[in-house]
Amino acid sequence: MPVSPADTAAGQSGGVAPADDRYLLVQAGDEKCALPLDRVRRIVRSLSVTPLPGASAELKGLAEFGGEPLTVLDFSRLLGAAPGASPAYPVTVIAWAGPDESHELVGLQVDAVLEVVSVPADNIAAGGDGIVRGDVSLGGEPVRVISLSVLGSVG
Amino acid sequence: MNGVSGERVLLLRHQGRLWGVLHDAVRTVTRGHDGFRVWLREGDITADHVLGVIDNLRIWPADGVLARFWGEKVGGLAVLGTTPVVVLDPGAPPTIFRSDAGSGSSVEPASDSDLGLDMGETP
Repeated sequence: MPVSPADTAAGQSGGVAPADDRYLLVQAGDEKCALPLDRVRRIVRSLSVTPLPGASAELKGLAEFGGEPLTVLDFSRLLGAAPGASPAYPVTVIAWAGPDESHELVGLQVDAVLEVVSVPADNIAAGGDGIVRGDVSLGGEPVRVISLSVLGSVG
Repeated sequence: MNGVSGERVLLLRHQGRLWGVLHDAVRTVTRGHDGFRVWLREGDITADHVLGVIDNLRIWPADGVLARFWGEKVGGLAVLGTTPVVVLDPGAPPTIFRSDAGSGSSVEPASDSDLGLDMGETP
């Protein structure tokens, strides 16, 4: 059943945290990741995907969403995460990828959607310039903080 | 998405997937021993089945995430019903379409009337 990220956020944040500090916590393989909530459009059960011949391991294939084509990525492979306990990815997070001026919708297949969390920017240990913006500890567990703005760029 | 256009597209099925070619890029279509050959302005490709021509198929650009993770050039993306369609770049079709990667059929271009398809031009 589709879940509105706005609805999910309302139940967790109480409107206290700035929008930029809110993240959707997901399980991808053996990694927990925080996706910027303002980039999440929808969460749906795993979409039916058409694989593409010769595609890299990160690219699951193409799906249809809302009458439009959607590129779907295997998020754990994108991160280089080891497979988790649930090898069948049951959830697709549909999110905006790429820079603000030319973003596009992509599907991110993950193992599970966990909750919406608030992560102040000051708490994030800076990472590189790639998709992993940095790391943070939540409840004593390491969480990778994701930037989707670099995902659409080639290279 | 931006840049969506409606185009006339020849629809193909190849290796279990749906593919499209802009109608204007197609010279003619011939039947081979184990499939079809589609003659394009820049060369020819093989296909398991030719399904027909669709008018005003909405095509989205595919130059972002897909281009980053798939090594093939793509003319665009479309959806037919709920099935994704990759619209080929006629100048650089994916490897699986190249004649030398397929059946090795040696048919020559012929009139498209053989298949009842109006390509609007003969070679």
